[in-house]
Amino acid sequence: MDIFPALLTVLSDPILMGWVLLAAIVGMIVGAVPGLTASAAIAMLLPLTFYMEPLPALAFLYVIGKSGRYGGSIAAILFNTPGTAASAATQLDGYPLARQGKASKAMKVATISSVIGDFTGEILLIVGVAWIATIALKLGPPELFAVYFAAFIVIGSVIGKSVTRGLASAALGVLVAMIGLDPISSTERFTFGSFDLTNGIGLVPLMIGIFVLGEVFAQIEERGQTTEMVQNGNDAARNTLTWAEYKPCLPHVARSSFIGAFIGMLPGLGSAIAAFVAYGEGKRRAKNPEAWGKGALEGVAAPEAANNAVSGPSMAPLLTLGIPGSTIGAILIGVFLIHGIQIGPTMFLTSRDLVYALFACGLIGIVLYGLIGYFGAAFVGRFITRIPTKVLYPVIFLTSFVAAYTSRGNLFDVYVMVAAGFAGWAMRKLDFNPAAFVISFVLAGGAEETFRQALLLSDNGLMIFVTRPVALLFLLIGITALVMRVRSLNRQSRAPHLEATQ
Amino acid sequence: MAPGSSPAPRLVGVALVLIGIGATATSMSISLDQYGRWGARFFPLAGSIALILLGLAELRNAPGTHTTERKHLPAIAALLMLSVAYVWVISGFGYLIATALAAPAALWIFGIRSAAGLGLAALLCPAAYHLVFFKLLGVFPPLGRYFDLLDVIGGY
Repeated sequence: MDIFPALLTVLSDPILMGWVLLAAIVGMIVGAVPGLTASAAIAMLLPLTFYMEPLPALAFLYVIGKSGRYGGSIAAILFNTPGTAASAATQLDGYPLARQGKASKAMKVATISSVIGDFTGEILLIVGVAWIATIALKLGPPELFAVYFAAFIVIGSVIGKSVTRGLASAALGVLVAMIGLDPISSTERFTFGSFDLTNGIGLVPLMIGIFVLGEVFAQIEERGQTTEMVQNGNDAARNTLTWAEYKPCLPHVARSSFIGAFIGMLPGLGSAIAAFVAYGEGKRRAKNPEAWGKGALEGVAAPEAANNAVSGPSMAPLLTLGIPGSTIGAILIGVFLIHGIQIGPTMFLTSRDLVYALFACGLIGIVLYGLIGYFGAAFVGRFITRIPTKVLYPVIFLTSFVAAYTSRGNLFDVYVMVAAGFAGWAMRKLDFNPAAFVISFVLAGGAEETFRQALLLSDNGLMIFVTRPVALLFLLIGITALVMRVRSLNRQSRAPHLEATQ
Repeated sequence: MAPGSSPAPRLVGVALVLIGIGATATSMSISLDQYGRWGARFFPLAGSIALILLGLAELRNAPGTHTTERKHLPAIAALLMLSVAYVWVISGFGYLIATALAAPAALWIFGIRSAAGLGLAALLCPAAYHLVFFKLLGVFPPLGRYFDLLDVIGGY
């Protein structure tokens, strides 16, 4: 019940409320701009939050992440371009609805479904997170290493088109994290005699490079493309959403919210997978499957609820185990670290008020982006069409340099950011997985520490990971996820050959 | 492209193997701890060997040749060169001059051709970023090694 005092605290603080409102607006705009993601915005704004108090800093970035996920639906419905990967499923029915002159109706369905999904995920997080933290406190180094191992495998293999490149992204993230001094023995690793490298690679410049500068490089390839908005008809009957119209969406919203919340808890899977799984499941169970893809309101409701339900539960592995479940979680680690807040299960003992106040900000942020979206999505859409991308991306380019410098006041970090930016573009181009790279970079330190602690505890070397049941369970989860993913990709690649032979 | 296949598999496979071999050699040079154990060496080595194995797997599954689109490579290369030059000019001549040069260059690469717009960017961008980051937030600016405009205008 810690959430109620936290809600009162947040509601009675006008400055904090101002940050939450600003985050709701910024997130929605960023999410709706095709090519820009909430992760990019958060990475770019991260250094600014170093100068803020911990709660406003965390709340600002957390709510941008939530609102950004919703903002993607504006681009998907109005511009036929998903603002985020997660809103690609929304586009399947959202854009046909807009073409039928029902853009406002589709936006209202997307808004209500996003709010319900996000609330469901946030409440599950609030109810379940302290319980998970209690269990996490009982895990020893072998079990924690097994959790890290499973996370590496799941993150590397499950997202993206290629298992080998996904896993290679994770391995590269681990290797880059090893640069610097070994935290236990202070032995130099991968420093090649460079003094700058002895401090290791900074998380903030790496993330700004991968997510922000990498996106600027990618946007060069989109130069000259204009964003055109579908003209919304003035027909009130077509754009008013009635209860009778929304009622059939409710079962889809409820189911998709739980699908999204479950997928959100698993490290690395994220909103895009949740949205497509919910869309597929919704279509399979729908009474009107033939209408899906041609402008069914349920086809907008299902992916939007799932996409936003991911947001809250994706914080659970971060707050309880220190394992970021998403790229936004990985970026938030930077805020926790800079403010000296130790993440992990002990956080609920040392910073309980802060955690619940953050959840309260999340709930208020959902209400705010819901209200802004319900009444102002079309205005946001029109505003975005007026932003010239020829100017926007050069401004983002310049901001990324000063933001990378600001994190530690060090020009070496800016070189790191440039290298990471180019690497981020190349990774996208070659079907590597930038998210797996960054999350593995973040996880590597903790994984190595628990691995070495476990070996110190062990009389039989590596056998400690097999003889402890919980550790073995997580190792098996990782291996099973990998095997299932490889089999699924093999089936996909065989399907065209089978069709051709038939 | 068939589902599950990715661009330039042979090139990527070879690159992964080479990076893995380099990282393995470097990992083997990491000192052992005082008891002769591999403590600090184990993780870098595991990551390096994983890269070699993944590179070999990529090569094993590599289909025929793939063509990649090269139309935008000159613009990408220009932006990369601008990025490196921008940081170098910051270190040599300070933030203001570097940004006054980089802002119109970035806009040019993205297709802005208006001389007035480029000139305005050269003035406004350094001023705006300096005001927000170095005045309002109080971050100490990167000063130029050879010359810095802030020394002349007395900004710091």
